[in-house]
Amino acid sequence: MSTEIIKTTSSQTKTKLWLDVALFVAFLVTMDPHSSGLAIHEWLSLSVIAVMTIHLLLSWDWITEITRRFLGKLGSLNRTNYILNWLLFIDGTLIMVSGVMISEVALPYLGFELPLGFAWRRLHDMSANIGLLLLGVHTALHWNWIVNTFSKYLFQPVTRMFTSKTKKDASV
Amino acid sequence: MKILFRTLVILTVFVALSGAMIMAVNASGANAPDFDGEPRFRPDGGEEFRPPEGGEFRPERGDGDRDGRIAPRWMFGLIKNVGVIAVLVTAIAWPRSLAKKRKKQAV
Repeated sequence: MSTEIIKTTSSQTKTKLWLDVALFVAFLVTMDPHSSGLAIHEWLSLSVIAVMTIHLLLSWDWITEITRRFLGKLGSLNRTNYILNWLLFIDGTLIMVSGVMISEVALPYLGFELPLGFAWRRLHDMSANIGLLLLGVHTALHWNWIVNTFSKYLFQPVTRMFTSKTKKDASV
Repeated sequence: MKILFRTLVILTVFVALSGAMIMAVNASGANAPDFDGEPRFRPDGGEEFRPPEGGEFRPERGDGDRDGRIAPRWMFGLIKNVGVIAVLVTAIAWPRSLAKKRKKQAV
Protein backbone atom coordinates (compact mmCIF):
# COMPACT_ATOMS: atom_id res chain seq x y z
CA MET A 1 0.00 0.00 0.00
CA SER A 2 2.58 2.48 1.14
CA THR A 3 5.58 1.57 -0.96
CA GLU A 4 5.52 4.86 -2.84
CA ILE A 5 5.82 7.07 0.21
CA ILE A 6 6.68 5.02 3.27
CA LYS A 7 9.29 2.28 3.33
CA THR A 8 8.27 -0.67 5.48
CA THR A 9 10.48 -3.37 6.91
CA SER A 10 10.40 -6.91 5.59
CA SER A 11 8.80 -8.34 8.73
CA GLN A 12 6.15 -5.60 8.68
CA THR A 13 5.32 -6.39 5.07
CA LYS A 14 5.08 -10.13 5.85
CA THR A 15 2.80 -9.46 8.83
CA LYS A 16 0.68 -7.16 6.70
CA LEU A 17 0.40 -9.77 3.96
CA TRP A 18 -0.81 -12.58 6.24
CA LEU A 19 -3.06 -10.22 8.14
CA ASP A 20 -4.64 -9.06 4.89
CA VAL A 21 -5.11 -12.66 3.75
CA ALA A 22 -6.81 -13.44 7.08
CA LEU A 23 -9.02 -10.34 6.74
CA PHE A 24 -9.96 -11.26 3.18
CA VAL A 25 -10.91 -14.83 4.15
CA ALA A 26 -12.81 -13.58 7.22
CA PHE A 27 -14.72 -11.12 5.03
CA LEU A 28 -15.70 -13.86 2.57
CA VAL A 29 -16.85 -16.15 5.41
CA THR A 30 -18.85 -13.43 7.15
CA MET A 31 -20.44 -12.32 3.88
CA ASP A 32 -22.47 -15.54 3.84
CA PRO A 33 -24.07 -15.97 7.27
CA HIS A 34 -26.59 -18.54 6.00
CA SER A 35 -23.76 -20.93 5.27
CA SER A 36 -21.36 -20.20 8.11
CA GLY A 37 -24.07 -19.96 10.74
CA LEU A 38 -25.03 -16.92 12.77
CA ALA A 39 -22.65 -17.68 15.66
CA ILE A 40 -19.56 -17.85 13.44
CA HIS A 41 -20.79 -14.82 11.47
CA GLU A 42 -21.16 -12.65 14.57
CA TRP A 43 -18.10 -13.73 16.59
CA LEU A 44 -15.81 -13.66 13.55
CA SER A 45 -17.08 -10.19 12.62
CA LEU A 46 -16.41 -8.89 16.12
CA SER A 47 -12.90 -10.33 16.08
CA VAL A 48 -12.30 -8.54 12.77
CA ILE A 49 -12.33 -5.24 14.74
CA ALA A 50 -9.08 -6.30 16.43
CA VAL A 51 -7.47 -7.46 13.17
CA MET A 52 -8.61 -4.29 11.44
CA THR A 53 -7.02 -2.19 14.20
CA ILE A 54 -3.69 -3.99 13.71
CA HIS A 55 -4.04 -3.48 9.93
CA LEU A 56 -4.46 0.26 10.50
CA LEU A 57 -1.59 0.35 13.01
CA LEU A 58 0.73 -1.23 10.44
CA SER A 59 -0.29 1.44 7.93
CA TRP A 60 -0.14 4.27 10.47
CA ASP A 61 2.84 6.07 8.93
CA TRP A 62 1.16 6.11 5.52
CA ILE A 63 -2.12 7.37 7.01
CA THR A 64 -0.49 10.23 8.94
CA GLU A 65 1.74 11.18 6.00
CA ILE A 66 -1.15 11.35 3.53
CA THR A 67 -3.40 13.16 6.04
CA ARG A 68 -0.70 15.81 6.39
CA ARG A 69 -0.18 16.14 2.64
CA PHE A 70 -3.78 15.65 1.52
CA LEU A 71 -4.55 19.30 0.84
CA GLY A 72 -1.12 19.95 -0.63
CA LYS A 73 0.85 18.25 -3.38
CA LEU A 74 -0.11 14.59 -3.62
CA GLY A 75 -0.30 11.98 -6.37
CA SER A 76 -3.74 11.04 -7.66
CA LEU A 77 -3.29 7.36 -6.74
CA ASN A 78 -2.49 8.17 -3.10
CA ARG A 79 -5.37 10.63 -2.93
CA THR A 80 -7.79 8.07 -4.40
CA ASN A 81 -6.49 5.40 -2.03
CA TYR A 82 -6.87 7.69 0.95
CA ILE A 83 -10.49 8.60 0.12
CA LEU A 84 -11.32 4.96 -0.64
CA ASN A 85 -9.79 3.81 2.66
CA TRP A 86 -11.89 6.33 4.58
CA LEU A 87 -15.02 5.13 2.77
CA LEU A 88 -14.05 1.55 3.63
CA PHE A 89 -13.56 2.52 7.28
CA ILE A 90 -16.93 4.31 7.44
CA ASP A 91 -18.67 1.43 5.69
CA GLY A 92 -16.92 -1.10 7.96
CA THR A 93 -18.10 0.86 10.99
CA LEU A 94 -21.66 0.86 9.64
CA ILE A 95 -21.48 -2.92 9.06
CA MET A 96 -20.27 -3.42 12.65
CA VAL A 97 -22.77 -1.04 14.28
CA SER A 98 -25.76 -2.35 12.34
CA GLY A 99 -24.57 -5.91 12.98
CA VAL A 100 -24.37 -5.27 16.71
CA MET A 101 -27.85 -3.70 16.67
CA ILE A 102 -29.40 -6.80 15.07
CA SER A 103 -27.18 -9.33 16.88
CA GLU A 104 -28.99 -12.53 17.84
CA VAL A 105 -26.09 -14.56 19.24
CA ALA A 106 -23.12 -12.50 20.46
CA LEU A 107 -24.91 -9.67 22.24
CA PRO A 108 -27.53 -11.87 23.99
CA TYR A 109 -24.63 -14.11 25.07
CA LEU A 110 -22.93 -11.07 26.62
CA GLY A 111 -26.18 -10.19 28.39
CA PHE A 112 -27.45 -7.42 26.11
CA GLU A 113 -30.91 -7.53 24.56
CA LEU A 114 -31.67 -4.94 21.89
CA PRO A 115 -35.05 -4.46 20.19
CA LEU A 116 -35.24 -5.75 16.63
CA GLY A 117 -34.63 -3.00 14.14
CA PHE A 118 -35.92 -3.02 10.59
CA ALA A 119 -33.74 -0.09 9.57
CA TRP A 120 -30.60 -1.65 11.03
CA ARG A 121 -31.23 -4.89 9.15
CA ARG A 122 -31.54 -3.02 5.86
CA LEU A 123 -28.50 -0.88 6.64
CA HIS A 124 -26.51 -4.02 7.48
CA ASP A 125 -27.33 -5.68 4.15
CA MET A 126 -26.75 -2.50 2.18
CA SER A 127 -23.42 -1.66 3.85
CA ALA A 128 -22.20 -5.25 3.42
CA ASN A 129 -22.90 -5.08 -0.33
CA ILE A 130 -21.19 -1.69 -0.61
CA GLY A 131 -18.31 -3.12 1.44
CA LEU A 132 -17.85 -5.92 -1.09
CA LEU A 133 -17.57 -3.37 -3.91
CA LEU A 134 -15.19 -1.16 -1.93
CA LEU A 135 -13.05 -4.17 -1.02
CA GLY A 136 -12.90 -5.08 -4.71
CA VAL A 137 -11.67 -1.59 -5.63
CA HIS A 138 -9.26 -1.60 -2.65
CA THR A 139 -7.84 -4.95 -3.80
CA ALA A 140 -7.57 -3.71 -7.39
CA LEU A 141 -5.69 -0.56 -6.38
CA HIS A 142 -3.22 -2.63 -4.36
CA TRP A 143 -2.96 -5.44 -6.90
CA ASN A 144 0.70 -4.73 -7.75
CA TRP A 145 1.62 -4.81 -4.06
CA ILE A 146 -0.30 -8.08 -3.59
CA VAL A 147 1.36 -9.75 -6.60
CA ASN A 148 4.86 -8.51 -5.69
CA THR A 149 4.58 -9.43 -2.00
CA PHE A 150 3.11 -12.87 -2.71
CA SER A 151 5.86 -13.46 -5.22
CA LYS A 152 8.60 -12.29 -2.85
CA TYR A 153 7.45 -14.02 0.33
CA LEU A 154 5.60 -17.07 -0.94
CA PHE A 155 6.26 -18.10 -4.54
CA GLN A 156 9.98 -17.32 -4.73
CA PRO A 157 10.90 -19.07 -1.42
CA VAL A 158 8.87 -22.15 -2.45
CA THR A 159 10.51 -22.21 -5.90
CA ARG A 160 13.94 -21.74 -4.31
CA MET A 161 13.23 -24.60 -1.90
CA PHE A 162 12.40 -26.95 -4.78
CA THR A 163 15.31 -25.90 -6.97
CA SER A 164 17.82 -26.30 -4.13
CA LYS A 165 16.34 -29.72 -3.41
CA THR A 166 16.74 -30.85 -7.03
CA LYS A 167 20.30 -29.48 -7.06
CA LYS A 168 21.09 -31.48 -3.92
CA ASP A 169 19.54 -34.61 -5.44
CA ALA A 170 21.56 -34.10 -8.63
CA SER A 171 24.82 -33.70 -6.70
CA VAL A 172 24.14 -36.94 -4.74
CA MET B 1 2.96 3.69 24.60
CA LYS B 2 2.96 4.88 21.00
CA ILE B 3 0.97 1.84 19.88
CA LEU B 4 -1.49 2.27 22.74
CA PHE B 5 -2.07 5.91 21.77
CA ARG B 6 -2.58 4.99 18.11
CA THR B 7 -4.98 2.19 19.05
CA LEU B 8 -6.94 4.63 21.18
CA VAL B 9 -7.12 7.10 18.28
CA ILE B 10 -8.45 4.38 15.93
CA LEU B 11 -11.01 3.17 18.48
CA THR B 12 -12.08 6.73 19.31
CA VAL B 13 -12.78 7.47 15.63
CA PHE B 14 -14.64 4.15 15.40
CA VAL B 15 -16.77 4.92 18.48
CA ALA B 16 -17.44 8.50 17.34
CA LEU B 17 -18.59 7.29 13.92
CA SER B 18 -20.73 4.58 15.54
CA GLY B 19 -22.37 7.13 17.83
CA ALA B 20 -23.08 9.44 14.90
CA MET B 21 -24.65 6.57 12.95
CA ILE B 22 -26.86 5.49 15.86
CA MET B 23 -27.96 9.09 16.41
CA ALA B 24 -28.69 9.57 12.71
CA VAL B 25 -30.80 6.40 12.47
CA ASN B 26 -32.72 7.20 15.66
CA ALA B 27 -33.26 10.82 14.63
CA SER B 28 -34.55 9.80 11.20
CA GLY B 29 -37.20 7.64 12.87
CA ALA B 30 -36.48 4.83 10.42
CA ASN B 31 -36.06 2.41 13.26
CA ALA B 32 -39.24 3.33 15.12
CA PRO B 33 -41.48 0.37 16.01
CA ASP B 34 -45.09 0.11 14.87
CA PHE B 35 -48.02 1.38 16.93
CA ASP B 36 -48.24 -1.93 18.79
CA GLY B 37 -44.65 -1.60 19.87
CA GLU B 38 -43.35 -4.38 17.64
CA PRO B 39 -41.33 -3.88 14.49
CA ARG B 40 -43.33 -5.10 11.48
CA PHE B 41 -40.46 -6.83 9.81
CA ARG B 42 -39.22 -10.10 11.24
CA PRO B 43 -35.79 -10.89 9.85
CA ASP B 44 -35.12 -14.45 8.78
CA GLY B 45 -33.88 -16.24 11.83
CA GLY B 46 -35.26 -13.47 14.02
CA GLU B 47 -37.65 -15.89 15.61
CA GLU B 48 -36.69 -19.33 16.72
CA PHE B 49 -37.99 -21.96 14.31
CA ARG B 50 -40.49 -24.38 15.78
CA PRO B 51 -41.77 -27.34 13.80
CA PRO B 52 -45.56 -27.62 13.54
CA GLU B 53 -47.14 -29.65 16.30
CA GLY B 54 -46.96 -33.31 15.50
CA GLY B 55 -44.92 -32.48 12.46
CA GLU B 56 -41.54 -33.88 11.74
CA PHE B 57 -38.58 -31.54 11.96
CA ARG B 58 -36.22 -31.95 9.07
CA PRO B 59 -33.15 -29.76 9.33
CA GLU B 60 -32.00 -28.04 6.19
CA ARG B 61 -29.17 -29.85 4.52
CA GLY B 62 -26.18 -27.89 3.40
CA ASP B 63 -25.01 -30.35 0.77
CA GLY B 64 -27.73 -30.08 -1.80
CA ASP B 65 -31.18 -28.78 -2.60
CA ARG B 66 -34.58 -30.10 -3.60
CA ASP B 67 -33.51 -30.71 -7.18
CA GLY B 68 -30.87 -33.10 -5.98
CA ARG B 69 -27.98 -30.94 -7.08
CA ILE B 70 -24.95 -31.61 -4.93
CA ALA B 71 -23.26 -28.24 -5.09
CA PRO B 72 -23.10 -26.87 -1.53
CA ARG B 73 -25.02 -23.68 -0.91
CA TRP B 74 -22.04 -21.84 0.50
CA MET B 75 -20.19 -22.35 -2.76
CA PHE B 76 -22.60 -20.14 -4.68
CA GLY B 77 -22.18 -17.27 -2.20
CA LEU B 78 -18.41 -17.65 -2.18
CA ILE B 79 -18.15 -17.77 -5.98
CA LYS B 80 -20.45 -14.73 -6.26
CA ASN B 81 -18.41 -12.66 -3.80
CA VAL B 82 -15.02 -13.68 -5.18
CA GLY B 83 -16.42 -13.10 -8.69
CA VAL B 84 -17.44 -9.52 -7.88
CA ILE B 85 -13.96 -8.79 -6.51
CA ALA B 86 -12.28 -10.53 -9.47
CA VAL B 87 -14.30 -8.48 -11.96
CA LEU B 88 -13.37 -5.24 -10.20
CA VAL B 89 -9.69 -6.23 -10.00
CA THR B 90 -9.63 -7.12 -13.70
CA ALA B 91 -11.48 -3.96 -14.68
CA ILE B 92 -9.17 -1.68 -12.70
CA ALA B 93 -5.78 -3.39 -12.39
CA TRP B 94 -5.51 -4.75 -15.93
CA PRO B 95 -5.91 -1.41 -17.81
CA ARG B 96 -3.51 0.17 -15.31
CA SER B 97 -0.81 -2.43 -15.93
CA LEU B 98 -1.35 -2.14 -19.71
CA ALA B 99 -0.97 1.63 -19.53
CA LYS B 100 2.22 1.20 -17.49
CA LYS B 101 3.66 -1.23 -20.06
CA ARG B 102 2.84 1.17 -22.91
CA LYS B 103 4.51 4.01 -21.03
CA LYS B 104 7.63 1.90 -20.52
CA GLN B 105 7.71 0.92 -24.18
CA ALA B 106 7.33 4.53 -25.24
CA VAL B 107 10.38 5.47 -23.14
